[in-house]
Amino acid sequence: MRFKTNLKNIRTFSKLVAALSSLEKIAWLRLDDEHVRFTVIPDTGSQVWALLPMEFIFDNVQLQSAEAQNTINLELPLVPLQRALRSALNATSASLRLTKKDGIPILSMTIQTSTVAQGNQGGGLGSYSRFSRGDNGPGHVAGGFGDDDDGIFNIEPLETHLHREREKIITQDIPVRVLHPDNVEMIMQPKVREPDVHIQLPPLLQLKAISDRFTKLAAASTRASNSAVATAAASNPKLELSANMHGSLRLSLTTDTLDVTSQWDSLENPELDPSQLHCPLEEHPSTIFREAGPDKWASVRVDGKDWSKVLSVGRLEGRVIACFADEHALILECFFYLVFYWTGSLLSTRLIKPAVLRIVIQRMSAITGPLLVVSLQAENM
Amino acid sequence: MVLLRFTLSEEGVNALRDALACLNKFSDEVSLEAKRDKLVFTALNSSKSAYAAFSFATNRFFSKYQYEGVPQNREKFFCKLYNRALLSLFRARTGDPIHDPEKGGSAIERCDVAIQDEAGKKSRFIVKIACRNGMTTKYRLPFEVSPPVHAKFDRDEALHSWSISSRTLRQLMDHFGPGIEYLDIHSDDDSTVSFTCFTEKVASGNAEVLKKPLHTSIAVEKDEFDSFDVTEDKLHIVVSVKDFRAITQHAAFLGSDVSAQYSIPSRPMQIRYDGDGVKCEFLLMTVGERGAPGQQRAKKARTGARPTARAQQLEAAASRATSNAPTPAPRPTPAARREPMPSLRPTAPRQSQRPPPATLDHDSLFVPQDDDYQWEPVRMNEDEDEEEGDARLEWDASDRPNPSAIKMSSVMANQAAQRSGTGPDNSVEQDQALSYLEPTQRLSQARQFGLFND
Repeated sequence: MRFKTNLKNIRTFSKLVAALSSLEKIAWLRLDDEHVRFTVIPDTGSQVWALLPMEFIFDNVQLQSAEAQNTINLELPLVPLQRALRSALNATSASLRLTKKDGIPILSMTIQTSTVAQGNQGGGLGSYSRFSRGDNGPGHVAGGFGDDDDGIFNIEPLETHLHREREKIITQDIPVRVLHPDNVEMIMQPKVREPDVHIQLPPLLQLKAISDRFTKLAAASTRASNSAVATAAASNPKLELSANMHGSLRLSLTTDTLDVTSQWDSLENPELDPSQLHCPLEEHPSTIFREAGPDKWASVRVDGKDWSKVLSVGRLEGRVIACFADEHALILECFFYLVFYWTGSLLSTRLIKPAVLRIVIQRMSAITGPLLVVSLQAENM
Repeated sequence: MVLLRFTLSEEGVNALRDALACLNKFSDEVSLEAKRDKLVFTALNSSKSAYAAFSFATNRFFSKYQYEGVPQNREKFFCKLYNRALLSLFRARTGDPIHDPEKGGSAIERCDVAIQDEAGKKSRFIVKIACRNGMTTKYRLPFEVSPPVHAKFDRDEALHSWSISSRTLRQLMDHFGPGIEYLDIHSDDDSTVSFTCFTEKVASGNAEVLKKPLHTSIAVEKDEFDSFDVTEDKLHIVVSVKDFRAITQHAAFLGSDVSAQYSIPSRPMQIRYDGDGVKCEFLLMTVGERGAPGQQRAKKARTGARPTARAQQLEAAASRATSNAPTPAPRPTPAARREPMPSLRPTAPRQSQRPPPATLDHDSLFVPQDDDYQWEPVRMNEDEDEEEGDARLEWDASDRPNPSAIKMSSVMANQAAQRSGTGPDNSVEQDQALSYLEPTQRLSQARQFGLFND
């Protein structure tokens, strides 16, 4: 079993890992020839299934496995991975390798980085920076425009770089467990019926701020009502999310003493691609909801705390479509974009590659409370 | 009677707070020692594996400094304070945004400190803090007159040294994740120096493997150091990450160069840097092991423990009989008196040794146990074949018990043995007359550590 790759888009990778780890600390990583899939399945709360094209975060991949379809299944802790990626954020290059140390499998991240010169240093180096600051004074800048022979501007960064930028090689070893395929192939993505309403969410940071406010309000109001039953409910406040096919999204909270709703209008209900549907577009539930008018709402209830964790995927800065299956589930699809630069001999081409994030919120019974399933998927479009 | 009076400016308060915050990471108690020309704050941690000292030059650091002294001891005054209480005085109203409409409005402008100590009167450490907003607060802290414990460092012995900018060091430390315990500093070849972290906590069970902390190793070019002078090849020197981090954090505030000096594992490492009017010095106990891989059994048995930094009492506590402040009964340092913590581990034998061989085997950082291989450290790729020559057991001709290895966390556990007079520290502490003599190891003591258990 071999796996070795260079890392790219480290910042996006790091954000993805941060988003996943807000829901669960340990992830199942499945690698094959084309895809990287991260799955987190917490005991309670939302699941995330994130499918990324290999070239999304990896480059120059060497993958070799005896298992069917050349797959490698790993269990890995997300917090150390996130920590390791943080070291790699400003790296000149970083690579990841599956290996063993003392008989324990690890994902070894090798990071090449350099100390960036800035600020005032003590001793001899300090005199360099003092010297540099003098050169950057307004008088020199002003004088520099007219005089190309003024060598001071060239000297300053050169000295600093020569003296301060030293390469370092950082090795971060993340403990992993290699999973047997039999153990993991049983785990399937939750199946959700065709959604009734799909709508683009407002900026997630805004939605999260309001949702979190509601969740706190729910806790406060039940505390005020001061009953033993309410205290139990207060620990898991439920928010109701509703949307129609006419651009409106509603977030509401209802308690014994409080009823509060926020509504967004003029949101976009994206068109469906008929070729991707299993039924004719006219028979699709969303068409039926659209024809039923703006008063036809599809609703789900979510656990406020869990919803807040789910919304941390907002850090990926994607475009998020919420797909409501009325009283059953909510799917969020997040498209996040990466910019690739292709440099040819004469011209540069820029490709924009979106990835898709799917979030599913399943129906919750009043007794067991809502189950929020987040299905995070990245695909080429 | 006021023994000591000094005034701090705003910057002085900040610098003192940083120093106290750093000391607080070593011990709850801070010792103060005042002389005419300097004021020294020190702390020694409970396992005596780390010692920190901040020495403030009275003429540069303080806006005013007036030392009266006591009739019994004109030279110096010393006392011990509860650090958290002291620290909270300075911490309380700095940068308080709520009560601070204008920036710095309630920041400390000036701080007057006076120490009162007189027979028949209350002994108090009095702090008067004047804030920018015109408010003045006065605090009285109790203190205990007890001599500070200073750790000794033999500079002649410490042949290895390096110095590096504190900022670079801080950047290096930022790469290390939480949950690690030890930092191993070594140079593998001519051009790079490696910083490697590890932990001795062992994952039990399969699922626990994922809870292991991130293992980080950083290879730094030697050029990054201002100087790097380690003559011994492949010398691994291991210190506690927690202590080292406390130091690098404080050093980064001052922004000066940090220099370290050390000899061999199991001897202390000294770290020093200077700020404006302040000298900072730390002694950290290091761990290490020299042994041959061929003799697995022997190696397992060769783990020793030894408290750091050869603490010793420099003053007789009784010399301050006139003070009204509580004076602890003459005693060996508290740690030495304390009942040893029950140890699950077998008593670690001690082994005297000649000047150490060049390589360090990591195995014996860990305590002997049946499943010893489990305790093996993460870095195992040292070339073990070359160590055959070091397998001999040798008697140490010098009187200095120089255990082949120590394990910091077992220091406490081994204090039972030290209490019975084995360690040099105890001989020093218990007998003032021997303060400056090298302790002698008796045969019976060596036997106690199982060297002759057949």
